Amino acid sequence: MVNFTVDEIRTMMDKKRNIRNMSVIAHVDHGKSTLTDSLVSKAGIIAGAKAGETRFTDTRKDEQERCITIKSTAISMYFELDDKDLVFITSPDQREKEEKGFLINLIDSPGHVDFSSEVTAALRVTDGALVVVDCVSGVCVQTETVLRQAIAERIKPILFMNKMDRALLELQLDAEELFQTFQRIVENVNVIIATYNDDSGPMGEVRVDPSKGSVGFGSGLHGWAFTLKQFAEMYAEKFKIDLVKLMNRLWGESFFNPKTKKWSKQKDADNKRSFCMYILDPIYKIFDSIMNYKKEEYEALLPKLGIALKHEDKDKDGKQLLKVVMRTWLPAGEALLQMIAIHLPSPVTAQKYRMEMLYEGPHDDEAALGIKNCDPNAPLMMYVSKMVPTSDKGRFYAFGRVFSGKVATGMKARIMGPNYTPGKKEDLYEKAIQRTILMMGRYVEAIEDVPSGNICGLVGVDQFLVKTGTITTFKDAHNLKVMKFSVSPVVRVAVEPKNPADLPKLVEGLKRLAKSDPMVQCIIEESGEHIIAGAGELHLEICLKDLEEDHACIPIKKSDPVVSYRETVSEESDQMCLSKSPNKHNRLFMKAQPMPDGLAEDIDDGNVNPRDDFKSRARYLSEKYDYDVTEARKIWCFGPDGTGPNILVDCTKGVQYLNEIKDSVVAGFQWATKEGVLSEENLRGVRFNIYDVTLHADAIHRGGGQIIPTTRRCLYACLLTASPRLMEPVYQCEIQCPEVAVGGIYGGWYTYVRSKAYLPVNESFGFTADLRSNTGGQAFPQCVFDHWQVLPGDPLDPSTRPYTVVQDTRKRKGLKEGLPDLTQYLDKL
Amino acid sequence: MLKFSTEETVSLKKQFKLSFEPVYTKPEKLDDVYEINKCVEWIKSNNFQKVCLQFPDKLLPDSTEVILKLQSILNQTLYIIGDSAFESCCIDFISAEHINADAIIHFGPICFSYTTENIPYLNIYEKGDLNVERLRPSFKEKFKHHLNEITVLVDSPYIHRLGDIVSALKTCQNVLIQLVDDYPLVIENKIILFIGRNVRKLINIEFNFQPRMLYYFDGAMKRYEVCPSILKRRNYLIEKIKDSKTIGIVIGTLCVRNYLKIMERMKELITLSGKKYYLISVGKPTVTKLSNFPELDVYVVITCSLSDIYENRDFYRPIVTPFDIEIALNRSERLVPIEDVEDEEGDVSLITNTIRTTTLESASANVATDLSPAESQVALQTERLWRGLEQDLGQTEAELAQEGRSGIARKYKNEEGS
Repeated sequence: MVNFTVDEIRTMMDKKRNIRNMSVIAHVDHGKSTLTDSLVSKAGIIAGAKAGETRFTDTRKDEQERCITIKSTAISMYFELDDKDLVFITSPDQREKEEKGFLINLIDSPGHVDFSSEVTAALRVTDGALVVVDCVSGVCVQTETVLRQAIAERIKPILFMNKMDRALLELQLDAEELFQTFQRIVENVNVIIATYNDDSGPMGEVRVDPSKGSVGFGSGLHGWAFTLKQFAEMYAEKFKIDLVKLMNRLWGESFFNPKTKKWSKQKDADNKRSFCMYILDPIYKIFDSIMNYKKEEYEALLPKLGIALKHEDKDKDGKQLLKVVMRTWLPAGEALLQMIAIHLPSPVTAQKYRMEMLYEGPHDDEAALGIKNCDPNAPLMMYVSKMVPTSDKGRFYAFGRVFSGKVATGMKARIMGPNYTPGKKEDLYEKAIQRTILMMGRYVEAIEDVPSGNICGLVGVDQFLVKTGTITTFKDAHNLKVMKFSVSPVVRVAVEPKNPADLPKLVEGLKRLAKSDPMVQCIIEESGEHIIAGAGELHLEICLKDLEEDHACIPIKKSDPVVSYRETVSEESDQMCLSKSPNKHNRLFMKAQPMPDGLAEDIDDGNVNPRDDFKSRARYLSEKYDYDVTEARKIWCFGPDGTGPNILVDCTKGVQYLNEIKDSVVAGFQWATKEGVLSEENLRGVRFNIYDVTLHADAIHRGGGQIIPTTRRCLYACLLTASPRLMEPVYQCEIQCPEVAVGGIYGGWYTYVRSKAYLPVNESFGFTADLRSNTGGQAFPQCVFDHWQVLPGDPLDPSTRPYTVVQDTRKRKGLKEGLPDLTQYLDKL
Repeated sequence: MLKFSTEETVSLKKQFKLSFEPVYTKPEKLDDVYEINKCVEWIKSNNFQKVCLQFPDKLLPDSTEVILKLQSILNQTLYIIGDSAFESCCIDFISAEHINADAIIHFGPICFSYTTENIPYLNIYEKGDLNVERLRPSFKEKFKHHLNEITVLVDSPYIHRLGDIVSALKTCQNVLIQLVDDYPLVIENKIILFIGRNVRKLINIEFNFQPRMLYYFDGAMKRYEVCPSILKRRNYLIEKIKDSKTIGIVIGTLCVRNYLKIMERMKELITLSGKKYYLISVGKPTVTKLSNFPELDVYVVITCSLSDIYENRDFYRPIVTPFDIEIALNRSERLVPIEDVEDEEGDVSLITNTIRTTTLESASANVATDLSPAESQVALQTERLWRGLEQDLGQTEAELAQEGRSGIARKYKNEEGS
């Protein structure tokens, strides 16, 4: 390290108001990692000249090769703000008195949708986000997704318009066009922010505004950037105008007439937009003179702008010179770090409003107050958001954020997994933290302890957590909330070792893989097949490669990707379904019906869930879905797994002993919703109604043994009589491709054409590759799981596609081929 | 008047679905099929007084004819054992003990499991058809280069054709012919030809002797290979066992020797790995009976190796073999209580993708096993919403007794309707 030492950082960590935890988020290929390099170069870890070429945060070999970020990577940096800039920080919670230095913990995240889970994990541990938008292609689908997530997690955004060099060099936009482009992007971003954030909410106004300096412009690749503040500083003295006022005048509908020296709000013949005149024009001049080799012109221009070149740079010309000039004039690191320090919240500020979003427990217990006040002397509360592989095979650093208290090497702490419930011992370990470490790109540094408000890694915790968890010293602490991902693992491949004797290694590898990725699921199915489920093809490809090369280290056979289906019904059961218990003394009468559109999604999103108060839930269901209130109050359970998108409703009237068999019926319901009648896939969007029950008067003859299998049979009969259907997952797919537009105002420049489409996941395999090869690599799809859709056709009719799907699934699962027989499940009175 | 039982016509007209095809042997064949003479000889020579005849369900239609024949020859009373409590392939000496029988004659398919008691018994095997003529050519063709390495194993239904089999293979010298009832069965050769078709037996041969090649002949010569899905399924079950917190040990036999030892072993393994167990004895385990304990995660059934319960997927919770438990829970040769395991590592479950918790639970786990049945019932049901009638002592006001219902469960007197 050149600029700072671990000791310096440790001292900074105590100055919690001078800490900024932030992530860099954007659509794929908008230049996050490259831009991050400019920051790293400023903080001095890598030499300035290499910034923009090294992609410091892309630590993996395949990331470097593919030029795509796969894992999010954290680095800590130290940066000092000048006195003149410090005045911009007004809130007392945003800086310590007499302290100029800032500690910036930055997480660079991947932009490809398949790795959105990494973004989610990054957002959780940070308070602010630098949203990078490629000014040429504008706001894209992933920009919106990540921005939405950020707002939902109460992460404050700032905006950076990247790739200005392309706009100038390739597209040759004139100044006014470029301004319009910028303005449109700012508007788009603010529309998204306004949709998901309430200005009167706890975060307050989070809109980005160039005139406040929360929007940056520049080129990560060339290493230059500016905000209006930089330019305002240059002109403030000349105009004798206050800096803040000038910044306001430099953006938007503000025009200056050089002849009359008058400012105006309207455009007229003589005046010019101030942004174009004072900011873009000088930049254009530099570009023009250097790229067209007008040596005299730029040699005259540079001193005017106060740019002094180093001796060895003077011989350069063309693009090389341009880079040097721009980087010297408007160093990207300086502008970005100022934006970050001034506009992003410190942990002290952020944790005040983030606590209620983070903590599951009561909002006034010790842990909650510790988080709220970011108090290093309160009990420890740390959230582990992901696992980072170490050089030691099979071991991981637990990476996360200390929200309260201090985590120290050797201290004993409670490690609580996502299934921990206070008072119980499940998913709870009490272990010593072996080591606390700082994580910086490719390097880690040991550190004695880390106080609240900071991000760090832990050694020795990985054995007790799979992906995420809460670390605390407070005995009564509840969990910090689990993260909600914007993508789902809908694409699956089955894997097996090429050599059957390697199976134990494969199993061990799968367990490691499950830890190393926030999203991937590694499971063994009932048939014994080992399945890896991921968000998309690229995600799976990376997972398989990691499994083969890093985690299992054995050659692996993989199946073609398959999707998992859901079973549902399309109509109400055409008859009242009766099933009798094995002793014939108990009878269940039920029907199935499809849920109204949207209810299954409401359950997925947790808007309707089993923990709701049943009265308010019933009111919600009756208002939104027209459910009968009395029936809606008697939802017995959700399933599968007690939370899934199927419900069991008690519609009986005055049945004796009904409460006694509830446990058994619920157990049967969980069983049947987990393994549907067609191909043992999960059910989705089915409402089962119990209409009547006759029971044997003696408890011994209506026990679980009689009721559980009978409930399952009856539910199966209900499904078969309600026109069963299959559902398949569907992607929302955004395809982006450049197109040479002819004529019009954009005469001759590249404009990006974007089209959105829905594509069944099953038909998406190979789509990316096809599209790329057919368009010469120009078109680039981004697919993200969107919804479940009924696969048209009756799965009971052998001529349909759903029938084939059902049979294939049954075969794969080792079930009897053929169709389920209704008479097996339905009894006669 | 309401009758105490259902009308007899209902019972008489009731249609039953049998899970097996009953066998009706022609009277003239009875002597051969049931080897009446051999039975008579055996009883007479040993001078047994009380003899039980054990029939599997499918042979029950013949049982009366057989017993009448034997009784008329022997002039003594014999007893039929039908509807065996556990597997009908095992010698049901428990039923025989009810009448203090001296001996058992077992008819039909048999598993050759060692019995717990040394009661004398005689096996009369089934008589299967076998196309021996086709054995020789296919045998020669397949094995002419391996004659020294091959063992021919004859399954019980074909032992009555042993002579034909021997003569069919006579030209091939040195061929080792063994019968499945050569106990203890040891096969050293690496190629086995099994004369028979019982799949469970084939699996057991494959796993016990691990032959290089296993063929079977039931009219045609076929290679037997264990279907990979069987092994894969076992992997899943083992994962399931590792995930489980409570395991039900189901007594599936009282006849097979060492079942108590296995039971103790299961208890030990389960306790040492920090899980709870419940011992369940419900006679022949069925879906209905085992579903009465929905709180259990896995059932390990201790029964005879030919039982088909392990293949049954209708159960509410998975059924595993003691061997699966051994594989899943026995970490090393030496059994160490989990509390004493030094470098204990959190293990990721491949079913739920969560960390398996064992250690902290274990402190309370052992307690349950020492409880009385009533208490353990309570422990089992703590998660249930309905825990039986609650007394709520002191919380409800005492009331005078009221007249309740009377009559029978099918229809109480005060219930409406006819």
